[in-house]
Amino acid sequence: MLETVKLSKTFKEKKAVEEIELYLHAGESVGLLGPNGAGKSTTISMISSLMKPTSGDVKLDGKSIIKNPSEIRKVLGVVPQEIALYEELSAYENLKFFGKIYHVAKEVLENRIQEVLEMVGLKDRQKELVKTFSGGMKRRVNIAAALLHKPKILILDEPTVGIDPQSRNHILETVRKLNEMHGTTILYTSHYMKEVEQLCNRVYIMDHGRVVASGTKTELLSILSTEDTIQIQLSKKSDSLLNTIKAIEHVRRVDETTQGIRIISKKGSNILSDLVHAAEKEGIQIIHFQMEVPSLEDVFLHLTGKTLRD
Amino acid sequence: MGSFIKKDLLVFWRDRKEVLLSLLLPIVLIAVLNIALSGLFNSDEDSINIHVGIVEEDNSSIGMEQFEEALNQLNISQVEQEAALKQAQMLDPSKTVRDFFNNPELQDWLHTQNISETEAIKLVEEGELDAFVKIPEGFTYEVLSSIIFDEEADVGLTIHADEQSTELTTLQNMVNNFVDSVNLQFALGTSAGTDSLEQLLPQGGSEIMEGVEMYSFSQYITIAMSALFSLFIAQTVAMKTVTEKRERVFNRIILADSHPLQFLIGKTFATFCLSLLQITLTFTVSQLLFDIFPDKSMQFWLGILIIFTLFALSIAGLSALFTSISLNLRDENAISGIFTAIIMGMAVLGGSFAPIQSLPAVLQKIGEWTPNGLTQTVLLEWIQFTNPSDLIIPIIVLIGFFIVCLAIGMSIFPTRGRN
Ligand SMILES: Nc1ncnc2c1ncn2[C@@H]1O[C@H](COP(=O)(O)OP(=O)(O)O)[C@@H](O)[C@H]1O
Ligand SMILES: [Mg+2]
Repeated sequence: MLETVKLSKTFKEKKAVEEIELYLHAGESVGLLGPNGAGKSTTISMISSLMKPTSGDVKLDGKSIIKNPSEIRKVLGVVPQEIALYEELSAYENLKFFGKIYHVAKEVLENRIQEVLEMVGLKDRQKELVKTFSGGMKRRVNIAAALLHKPKILILDEPTVGIDPQSRNHILETVRKLNEMHGTTILYTSHYMKEVEQLCNRVYIMDHGRVVASGTKTELLSILSTEDTIQIQLSKKSDSLLNTIKAIEHVRRVDETTQGIRIISKKGSNILSDLVHAAEKEGIQIIHFQMEVPSLEDVFLHLTGKTLRD
Repeated sequence: MGSFIKKDLLVFWRDRKEVLLSLLLPIVLIAVLNIALSGLFNSDEDSINIHVGIVEEDNSSIGMEQFEEALNQLNISQVEQEAALKQAQMLDPSKTVRDFFNNPELQDWLHTQNISETEAIKLVEEGELDAFVKIPEGFTYEVLSSIIFDEEADVGLTIHADEQSTELTTLQNMVNNFVDSVNLQFALGTSAGTDSLEQLLPQGGSEIMEGVEMYSFSQYITIAMSALFSLFIAQTVAMKTVTEKRERVFNRIILADSHPLQFLIGKTFATFCLSLLQITLTFTVSQLLFDIFPDKSMQFWLGILIIFTLFALSIAGLSALFTSISLNLRDENAISGIFTAIIMGMAVLGGSFAPIQSLPAVLQKIGEWTPNGLTQTVLLEWIQFTNPSDLIIPIIVLIGFFIVCLAIGMSIFPTRGRN
């Protein structure tokens, strides 16, 4: 129902988003994953008609929304990355204001406000001013405000950044319910792999303004089916050993991690003996050795050379 | 629309610091200035003594002769000529003025002396005289012909002084009342057919020397402070927009697909309410505390309310413009800098810090066209003359200012959150 065609945005010199192609089918829950600065928020701003693309198009049911954004604004709920609320007003007053400007009919608005407050679990705190809320509570009101007009598509831009685990679980649960019980189409942006794995049927991975991979979890994992990931711990740090390992046949990448060294090599290439030899030569012992079952995190690392939390 | 207005008023109201600052600070300032300075100006109001020099340069018999000659030139019947002459002799403008100043009822506190102009100037400078009234050469003839031939007179009574004082204000009010009552008498006393007799002493019937005004210091302070703080309201409301933008609420408003006008009108109307509330409150409280405008009529207060309403409207227009500007610029400091510069410029030019007359002529002219300067000028005129026709042009200008600001504001209003 929603798709982008070669969507690009350039700020002055900087290419923030380059030829992004993504689509959302009705009822799907899709993740948009990428490290900070990947261009996720910029992409979302363009999709939601807040920002004009430098080039490319956004289509809703096949019709471009660039010229006439009203259509998409009607069916879209956006939860921005920042808290977009009046701090001086109470949760209830905020929702009332946003409900009115979203043209929610007077007769149903009151009920609807209570409904969304219930959903985000803040019904009993609605009279309190937003500025007195914790970060997590603010985020929840921030979501509630996007739900008032019962949007068909809900876009959430990193809705769980910097909040307590309880609020976070609540939010994830809310999003899951919206998708499963109300059939709301979800585009969920995050740089937490776990959340996306938990919530989404499909994932786009973005880096440096581009989509570097996409698909279901199994599809993404199969990217790694040609590779083994080996984690080793050494008795001593050594740059020359690192270089020796890199030179071993079939080794594709070597990265230093907090635990030691991560080696990605061609699947089935047995490099263990080569590794042991190399270490012995340098007089270093391998304390710990582990073949890893690949996770999406590894896919991401493989694609970008970065861990998500960088 | 209603929801926008409600939201803006609510947001303002919740910011207690802002509310206190906007509503109470002007009152506090007026109170402080009044108390601090009242001693300087009103210490001996009860035992007022006015020393006035009368400088008569007019020779009434020559004037009368000139007038008779002029009558002869006219193509009217002998009977009419004689009637006009008789009327003129009865009128004798110079004598009327002299009689007025020598009225025995006024002698207790109005002390007049006939002197020459050079001497009068000297005595005024030395402070011996509060002011002198000059009956200029040709006064008799000019006044008579202005009445009877319906011509524009170009000389009139002038009051000369070189500093503001309660005495001077009293004198000026007296002369104005005198002129008005003579005009009225004459208008009532003449037969129908001559319908343009409004002014016995037209144009400059009383003239004021530079730097001297006919209103009190308290009145000036009250008006200037009220106008100044209203300007700040436009800025306050517009800066709330900056917050709305920073906090991304504005994006949400855009996503709701509200018409830009609603947002702008919401701001505009909220500003209108706030500045009207503020200026009315300031005036009312100052009036109750200090009786700044004693013994004024209902008409006077009604006029004040009308001026306030229009001034608040122009401030609302300004806030619409400010709002759009703030939505177009990214840098918050630049935005608040621009607003402060505009407001301070308007405040200085509009005479919020010192009477507009103390500025160079060019700036004075510009200042009179700022909404606050215009309002201030009109209010001060209104205090002195309470003449409804004085309000018409300022009303039009203030409405015009509002419309122009709102139109510019609308035309530069962004339809997307960021570009
Ligand atoms: N308004 C802007 N002007 C200039 N550069 C911007 C602007 N917004 C974002 N960028 C840049 O574009 C890139 C992508 O940013 P963003 O979309 O916010 O990433 P993400 O949401 O994935 O963290 C970043 O490098 C950021 O610095
Ligand atoms: Mg972002």
